[in-house]
Amino acid sequence: MIFGLVFWLVIIYFVVRWLSSRQKRNYGWLQREVPLWEQKNIINTEQGNSVLGLYKLKRIEPRGKMDMVKVLTLIGAIFIGVGVIFFVASNWQRIPAHVKTVLIMAVTIFTLYLGYFFSYEKQGFANLGNSLLLLASLFWGGTVALIGQIYNIPPSQNWLIMLIWAFPIVPIAIFFDNEYVHILASALFLIWNFLYTVNNSVANYYYPIIIFLFMLPTAKKLIISRRINIIGLVIASLYCCFYKYEWLALMVSAGLLVYYLIQKEEFVYLYAGCLSFIFWTITFFTVRETQPNFYFLIPMGIILYLTHKDRVRENLVMCLVGLLIWLNLSLYSFSQIFGYKFNIINFIVLQSLAGMVIYIIGIISKNREYAFFEIYKVFGYLVSFICTYLLSFQAMLELGVGERVNNVYFAGCLLLIAVMVLLVMEETTKGHFKNKAAYLELSALLAALLGNLILLTSPSLFTGTLAANAVLVIFAIINIFLGVELKASSVFTAGTGIFALFIITRYIDVGWRLKEKSLFFIVGGLIILSLGVFLEKQRRKVIERMRQDE
Amino acid sequence: MNKKIILFLVILLWIVLALAMIISKQSTFKTGKAVVLETVPVDPRDLLRGDYVVLRYKISTLDLNQIKSEKMDYRAGEAIYVKLEPKGKFWEPTAVQSKRSSDNGIYIRGKVRHTYSKQLTVIYGIESYFVPEGEGKELERNTRGSKSSVSVEAIVDSGGNALIKKVYIDKNR
Repeated sequence: MIFGLVFWLVIIYFVVRWLSSRQKRNYGWLQREVPLWEQKNIINTEQGNSVLGLYKLKRIEPRGKMDMVKVLTLIGAIFIGVGVIFFVASNWQRIPAHVKTVLIMAVTIFTLYLGYFFSYEKQGFANLGNSLLLLASLFWGGTVALIGQIYNIPPSQNWLIMLIWAFPIVPIAIFFDNEYVHILASALFLIWNFLYTVNNSVANYYYPIIIFLFMLPTAKKLIISRRINIIGLVIASLYCCFYKYEWLALMVSAGLLVYYLIQKEEFVYLYAGCLSFIFWTITFFTVRETQPNFYFLIPMGIILYLTHKDRVRENLVMCLVGLLIWLNLSLYSFSQIFGYKFNIINFIVLQSLAGMVIYIIGIISKNREYAFFEIYKVFGYLVSFICTYLLSFQAMLELGVGERVNNVYFAGCLLLIAVMVLLVMEETTKGHFKNKAAYLELSALLAALLGNLILLTSPSLFTGTLAANAVLVIFAIINIFLGVELKASSVFTAGTGIFALFIITRYIDVGWRLKEKSLFFIVGGLIILSLGVFLEKQRRKVIERMRQDE
Repeated sequence: MNKKIILFLVILLWIVLALAMIISKQSTFKTGKAVVLETVPVDPRDLLRGDYVVLRYKISTLDLNQIKSEKMDYRAGEAIYVKLEPKGKFWEPTAVQSKRSSDNGIYIRGKVRHTYSKQLTVIYGIESYFVPEGEGKELERNTRGSKSSVSVEAIVDSGGNALIKKVYIDKNR
């Protein structure tokens, strides 16, 4: 199971990175260009707003000049606050404990009053006032720590210190609109939740209640604070996987989803909600190993719908990963019920087939001009390719030798194949598969399907390795042809990349078993360098030809 | 709401909370009874963490085969009351129960941390002693080795709450 989770995390990382870098590059450019077009009277402000609105982009506010007074007063306040906390920690005993307590309490209240005075009574000192309010909040933490120290409150109860520090500064954050104190309180609540969970081994339902009722509604304009609280909630949901608090994870997830429905402009709620629901289904599995979580499909269906409706590209990857994790956990639960052990080969083949189904959904989405078809295709392709690549190692196949076939996973594979066939048949009857590119894609799918079927059914190590390697080569060749056919240099480059990877991997795979490794690596390096130069030359020639054809 | 009223309320809240913390601890000192507890040697690597000392007591591990107990199956996280009686120089555990008895005995409240084969590891909230910066080394030296020469005078109130009053270092031992 850990292997499965790591596998999906790797996939999600690469796809999200690819997507976000692409999207940021394009959208960032547009956000910078629109104000420029407006300045040069190419478009008016209304048209600019329409262009930005089409992609749901916010107008970039011109960056204000850094206010040095604000920065200096803030840094000064933080320095003094940290200094006082260090003074408390040093436990200097020349001043009696009760004098120290009265002194720090008096300074805290005086600072709080000064903060109020400069914020609201004296005009023109708002920055100083805000910093002093933060300083008073830090002093309050020092006071609580000092009392804890005097009475030797053990570190296992530090959660209590954090709570007594955080709660009473919330009114300053909310009623005095102080962003710094809001951030401080949010961070303290996050630490409190961590310490409470670790030290008490009890689900902390109070944390999401406080965050949902007080912190998030008052952090509408405070991005840093809002993000800290959302991250805190996701972390709280993550703890649930280890501590088996399924209801807490569900509560956090549902709350985040509701918040997204209320504040649709903030996509982070949707990402966090989706991630939290994934943690919930993992927790559900850890609590009830033999009970598949079919309830998960309800929130995931809603999130998938919202992702498409609001065009939240990155979240689609998270949804797909969530659904695949759910599928695997459900199959694992059924395996437990019927007494089948986990089989690594069955597991990887199932992921590969799932990747193929997702790829076909991408093809269908493209044919019907739905949004996000490229995400389905890239995600599905990556999953299928990585799985086939893993299976092309003999050492990987050796892990499954002699193990009994897990019939539940086997049935899952057959089900996915049936879905695949139905989808392709449906699309064929509508006449969508009639060009050369479609035939090439179908050929790659067919090759991958056959390879996976051999891996699933053949007990022979040699046949399995041969099948996986053959599929890899077919992937490379079809990518190259498809690149030429579609005049897409990226697809063509991916094909040469797969081919190069295949040759390097197999060379190392075989050579590693030889006794004379130094000669093997030197000769291998020279061959691969030459091959790289040759492939690069060929690639450039083909891409140049594509450009000329255009 | 008027900002001045909020300011006043926040100041009031801070003072009340600080006083509540102090009063609850002071009442333990006022109403509680003193017991002297023997500490046990601990691994010096775990002993000093920053500016506080970790203390382990003989009563931190309870063997239910040797102490009277109303039941044998305690869960981790469960609150218990341990009856303490003076035996020689130190106070030692004589009974373990889930609820405090109404007799006049001294009961210290603890929380079961682990259970292992009828042995309970218990924490009482007096496992840390804050020391001035750099002064923990002496305590560390005195609890190192096969014998500990550190004992603690704790105050236990009628509710079982305990606080450290003094830490004794017997240098002649």
